[in-house]
Amino acid sequence: MGRDALIVVGINHRTAPVAVRERLGYRLDELGPALTRLTGAAGVREAVIVSTCNRVEVIASVDEAAGAPAETIANVLADDRSVAAADLAPHVFAYTGRDALRHLFRVTSSLDSMIVGEPQILGQVKEHYEEATQAGTSGAVLHKMFHRAFAVAKRVRTETGIAGKAVSVASAAVDLARTIFENFDDKTAMLIGAGDMSELAARRLRTQGISGIIVTTRTFEHAVEVAREFGGMPVPFERLAEYLRLADVVIGSVSVTEYVITPALVHDALRARRQRPMFFIDMGVPRNFDPAINELANVYLYDIDDLGVAVAGNVDERERESVRAQAIVEEEVERTWRWFDSLEVVPTIVAIREKVEAIRQRELEKALLSLKDQAPRHRALLDALTSSIVNKILHAPISSLKSPDAESRDLLASARLLFDLEPPDDDEKEPS
Amino acid sequence: MELELLKIALVSYIVAAGILGLHVMVLHPAPRVIGLSVLLTGFLAHGASIAARSAAGGYVAVTTEYEALSFFAWLIVGVYLAVEARYRLPAVGAVVAPLAFAVTLGAFVFYAGVRDLPPNLRSFWLLVHIALAFLGDAVLALACCVSLVYLVHERQLKEKRVGALMRRMPSLEALDTLNYRALACGFPLLTLGIITGALWGKHSWGHFWSWEEREVFSLILWFLYAGLLQARLVAGWRGRRLATVTIIGFAFVFASFVFGHVLFPGKHGGSFN
Repeated sequence: MGRDALIVVGINHRTAPVAVRERLGYRLDELGPALTRLTGAAGVREAVIVSTCNRVEVIASVDEAAGAPAETIANVLADDRSVAAADLAPHVFAYTGRDALRHLFRVTSSLDSMIVGEPQILGQVKEHYEEATQAGTSGAVLHKMFHRAFAVAKRVRTETGIAGKAVSVASAAVDLARTIFENFDDKTAMLIGAGDMSELAARRLRTQGISGIIVTTRTFEHAVEVAREFGGMPVPFERLAEYLRLADVVIGSVSVTEYVITPALVHDALRARRQRPMFFIDMGVPRNFDPAINELANVYLYDIDDLGVAVAGNVDERERESVRAQAIVEEEVERTWRWFDSLEVVPTIVAIREKVEAIRQRELEKALLSLKDQAPRHRALLDALTSSIVNKILHAPISSLKSPDAESRDLLASARLLFDLEPPDDDEKEPS
Repeated sequence: MELELLKIALVSYIVAAGILGLHVMVLHPAPRVIGLSVLLTGFLAHGASIAARSAAGGYVAVTTEYEALSFFAWLIVGVYLAVEARYRLPAVGAVVAPLAFAVTLGAFVFYAGVRDLPPNLRSFWLLVHIALAFLGDAVLALACCVSLVYLVHERQLKEKRVGALMRRMPSLEALDTLNYRALACGFPLLTLGIITGALWGKHSWGHFWSWEEREVFSLILWFLYAGLLQARLVAGWRGRRLATVTIIGFAFVFASFVFGHVLFPGKHGGSFN
């Protein structure tokens, strides 16, 4: 079995259009099974999925000796989402080693966000990491990497102005609403579907004094639940059209295949509300609102991409801060990488790997000899099977040996004893 | 003295226009106050200029082409400053200041020294008539400027060009409301201007109405604005459409000014034979 290698595989707003991102996206409660499938794949030892509306990325620790882990991971994702692997392939990116680490740090620090510096991504990464921890697919390597990533994000936030200027999509939407409406206290917002971003926007509108919030989701129970959170009014999805006329701000984030809001619908609502302006914010992936409604008088429609443009206003200013943030990330990448590299040269771990691999090879040869039909596919099958078993069994003990307190807990010495290894030639250095 | 003061006003208006324009386009907090101070300086100098002329002529200086244009420009700035004190609308100021500059420049073109005022122009009703009519026109001028800003802002919003410029813009709602209020204010003033004009006509010539060009124009304007207010109140006209018609309306006001005073100088052009 080979050394641990770090890899990031996935799609994001730079590599894939919305249409692809939305097909691949995971809800938080869908992560568990997907993570288990990932770590069940050959060569994948640990995995965390980060799925937001801008990215679906798998951060994994893989067996360096296993072939093409990026392809393996991409295939699992494609399989999981019933997308043809060939359709997905052109959009998939993969980083390995130091680049993977850098990417993870950049994502967590919001340097890779569509809106650089937006504050939500850190929380989202944490949530997804915790899901993986609960599913048991995040081990010593990823624990360390993610905790470093959170620390880097915090450093970037406190030491650069990136977060100070940062405007999340939600707050960008609310700021934009301010350029349309003078007073919020006589305005009503309508949430169609409830997502992280739209709920955040609603909360912000609430604190800015919007008078009413109407909530409608496809299941009425959910609408009731969300409405309770904001002190809003739940409305059945079928009656959306009746209530639309009450809404000054309409936020859509429901996953649907066809537009929930059409020009005809808005036309009627406008007439009923005597042409008072309406602001539509489409946070849905795919789009919830027909883009044609922007053509109507007194109607303003923005989708997530437009809001990205909206916050680009002070991008130059942020560009400078972003350079400083990059420097911090580079520094941290180097530091963490040194630690990660040093792990692999711990003699005990190397010795265990060598010993077990030798046993595996020996037993594999024996088994193959006793096989009458020595077709290459049988050889490959047995090779994969034994690798997988060995990897799975060794993963936990080696993770423990890599943990920073391994030496203080005499784990290294115990491991030598348990695996019947020669005492080390020179003193083992604690990796840290 | 009168001309020196007016020159100060003229320069102040164009400088204020530059500073307010800069303030709206570049996100810098200071120039608003500076721009408004310069505009206020111009307004005070302008007021002093009108007062100096009135003192020299021994009559309220609002009757000749020069006096009328100067007085009109002064009122436009005054109405804007009064509104700015309540709402923060530097973007509107960036439109009002160049307009005031242009009208004041127009006044210079028609400059003539003080004259002997015919006795029938020394009437109280005439002053009331002119004050109300010009104030009404100035308020409608403000409505026009507000509408221009509305159209620019609306276009930016529609086209999703959301930059620094937009952040210095008043909200669409504020602009729309202000436009409506200006119309709701300007229209009664226009009406009163016409009524007092008729009263003065009766007093001066013995008949209320003489179908002079300016009077015909005023009547057309009155119907236009009445229709506009009606459309807003009953049909719910607002936003872009209301703004566009408001601008067209003011174009008529301006045209009536030019025609009434310059091209067809009847009673309103200062010849009263």
